[in-house]
Amino acid sequence: MKVKFFAHIRDCAGVREDTVQFSGTVGELLLYLSNKYGNTFRGAVLAGNQVSDRVIILVNGRNIVHLDGVDTVLDEEDEVSIFPVVAGG
Amino acid sequence: MLSPEKCIGCRTCEIVCSFNKIKAFNPKNARVSVLMYDEAAISVPMMCMQCEDPSCMKVCPTGAIAKRADGMVAIEEKRCIGCKLCVSACPLGNITFSPTEKKVVKCDLCNGEPKCAEFCPSGAIEFKEAAPSTIRRKKVIAERFKELFGEVSE
Amino acid sequence: MIGWTGCILRVNLSEGTIKKEALARSDARLYLGGRGLGTKIMMDEVDPRVDPLSPENKLIFMTGPLTGTMAASPGRYMVIAKAPLTGTIGCANSGGHFGPELKFAGYDGIIFEGKADQPVYLWIDDDKVELRPAGHLWGKNVFETTDKLLEETREDARVACIGPAGEKGVLFATVMNDKNRAAGRTGMGAVMGAKNLKAVVVRGSKSVEVADPEKFLEVCTEARRKLKAHPVTGEGLPTYGTGVLVNILNQMGALPTRNWRDGGIFEHAENISGEALVEKYLIRNKGCFGCSIGCGRLTKIPEGKFKSFGEGPEYEAEWSYGAACGVGDLAAICQANFICNELGLDPITMGATIACAMEMYEKGILSKEEVGRELNFGDAEAIVELTRMTGMRDGFGDQLALGSYRLAEKWGHSELSMSVKKQEMPAYDARGVQGMGLSYATSNRGGCHVRGYMTSVEVLGIPEKLDPLVTDEKAGWLKIFQDLTAVFDSAGICLFTSFALGLPDLAGMLRAAVGWGCTDEEILRIGERIWNLERLFNIRAGFTKADDTLPPRLLEEPLPSGPARGKVNQLEVMLKEYYVVRGWNEDGVPTEEKMAELSLR
Repeated sequence: MKVKFFAHIRDCAGVREDTVQFSGTVGELLLYLSNKYGNTFRGAVLAGNQVSDRVIILVNGRNIVHLDGVDTVLDEEDEVSIFPVVAGG
Repeated sequence: MLSPEKCIGCRTCEIVCSFNKIKAFNPKNARVSVLMYDEAAISVPMMCMQCEDPSCMKVCPTGAIAKRADGMVAIEEKRCIGCKLCVSACPLGNITFSPTEKKVVKCDLCNGEPKCAEFCPSGAIEFKEAAPSTIRRKKVIAERFKELFGEVSE
Repeated sequence: MIGWTGCILRVNLSEGTIKKEALARSDARLYLGGRGLGTKIMMDEVDPRVDPLSPENKLIFMTGPLTGTMAASPGRYMVIAKAPLTGTIGCANSGGHFGPELKFAGYDGIIFEGKADQPVYLWIDDDKVELRPAGHLWGKNVFETTDKLLEETREDARVACIGPAGEKGVLFATVMNDKNRAAGRTGMGAVMGAKNLKAVVVRGSKSVEVADPEKFLEVCTEARRKLKAHPVTGEGLPTYGTGVLVNILNQMGALPTRNWRDGGIFEHAENISGEALVEKYLIRNKGCFGCSIGCGRLTKIPEGKFKSFGEGPEYEAEWSYGAACGVGDLAAICQANFICNELGLDPITMGATIACAMEMYEKGILSKEEVGRELNFGDAEAIVELTRMTGMRDGFGDQLALGSYRLAEKWGHSELSMSVKKQEMPAYDARGVQGMGLSYATSNRGGCHVRGYMTSVEVLGIPEKLDPLVTDEKAGWLKIFQDLTAVFDSAGICLFTSFALGLPDLAGMLRAAVGWGCTDEEILRIGERIWNLERLFNIRAGFTKADDTLPPRLLEEPLPSGPARGKVNQLEVMLKEYYVVRGWNEDGVPTEEKMAELSLR
């Protein structure tokens, strides 16, 4: 599946996007990615075992908050986007 | 320590400085001012650089200005007669006569806790203990300003 | 007075007279300053049915009690008049250094009346205030005008002025201050131009005082700490500017593409994003007076056919010239935005109007002869060229100068104008972000995002996370946002602080500044009062429930792709609920009880 990173999450991951062979939940994906990209990335997206409240995670454009949160089950066709909490106007 | 390349031109230093000195907001009473150069896309915070060889001290007729052991250039208010010669003498324009306070004013480092550095949002103004390396950097920057603006006031 | 200066300037341009009046304390108590006080003066002194470009309209510059202090981002002032673009109450906010300088000169605001015979400018040097001829400045752009005025007044003065767009009555002309900051929306610059007022120049050496300095220092220090610690105001905005939103709205399928025709996913979003701007063209951040966020962008296009230098663009312009016009060339977007600053144009309406013209062209409604060039979506040169032509009202620019609604209506296709109350909507597709639709439809100055920023709860999850695809709870939240925003705008601080600061922080700063003993709720009530007063102005100007609507495209054409695929905006459901939440009758008119409750009777 495709995972896209934005704003400074890009700096933490070192890439803009990644294609990963993965099946499981969003929570598991974040652990998988944290192991892959290391502690800076982990610190940015996770707070302990929870998703950090400083990131927004979308699955196919839907915020996981309005899906099943970290338990949202991912499909091979899904696109995941990870943003820091940002705003503008 | 000043890092003009980090300055965003917000003048937070000016308002917090004036508030600390006169308990009101008035950039004209601030001991620091930010100069902006639109075309060059840069702004530069300016304040007393606590010179090693202060022109203000040399010109003061009553000896009210002294270079202290800790490096600060201080005005002793009691001895100051308000003649403003120091204002003319400072090559950087960093001593001013405050019409509100009716006295000559300059940066006094807020007794070791400068408000401008505390509130500067971008790190353009930092207050660091005078380690040898920072003194060197300070001088480099002060020299640069001297070159830029020195001839106008001399 | 404390917080306020207590003095307002009244300048009658027809007679050339200048008076200093005491600020009405009772009004300041009820309406605070800025937007609130300006609207109150409009309501008291101007017939809401007046022609916005006639001498009978007034033009008000107004600061707030926190302007020029060390409150959070305290550099704001507002320009208020009846708006030529919408016919509603017009009101536009700007930062920079002009507003604080006006207070340092000793004035909370300026009321301009009538119309000067010849171009003039107002020069305020503390207590000395005079009207001076401005014939030599007429026709000059914003940068030339500002430089010339600083030269002939004082170099430490601050300038607010209009460019050629304001002089020529472009209906979305801005008032520009400090060269690059804009009181942008609803056409305040056209009102200024119609009064033959080229500029206001001010220099002040007085102090702004607060009631309780110790307490004020404490609450402001805490507010600034929160701004630094918050991911939005401490990290996202300083690093990427407002353009950081481009990618997120695009990923959510709510970045309106090609005049909102092609859904909410723009294939070149990455190229026009805040991230791309930082990577390619950003030189340095810039902050308004006393601001710890510093979201402003100093930008340079070093080479190529769009070689240029200036400030911005913001998220809205990246969208209006980018996704809305189908343009993926960030250099062109930057240059078009710089031209808006130079000539005094609102880039949201400008880009969106070009986007509307592009759709009309592709549909064959406009021909190459009428436009003077081809005008397909994606034409990067067109956005630059047409912006300049609009600012100067050259050729087809003369028609674009009326905004998208009047342009499309002239050709019998008003449905192609993506506007509410004739003002172009900004960069959030209300089919994918439902509450934004209600926000647009009920905004007191027409299509606009900064009257009730529902994106905060629906997209960003601040302060709570609402589902953008449903209508539940939207009306109640919108009321809170609208009322609270009115307080920020009237207090004189930047709305962006509201990402990190809430009512208690704002109320704390206000209480310490002006010495009130009131509750947080009473302060929020001021916002509700202002909202209702604006509504009353619009009702008296002839607006009805029928105007609280959205373009048919948002109500009838479902989004073709993305998470909101198949959705239209469910305005009707939300609007009904909204009127109830507001305490208005079913026609959207504030009831007698509501008005009595808000001391509006």
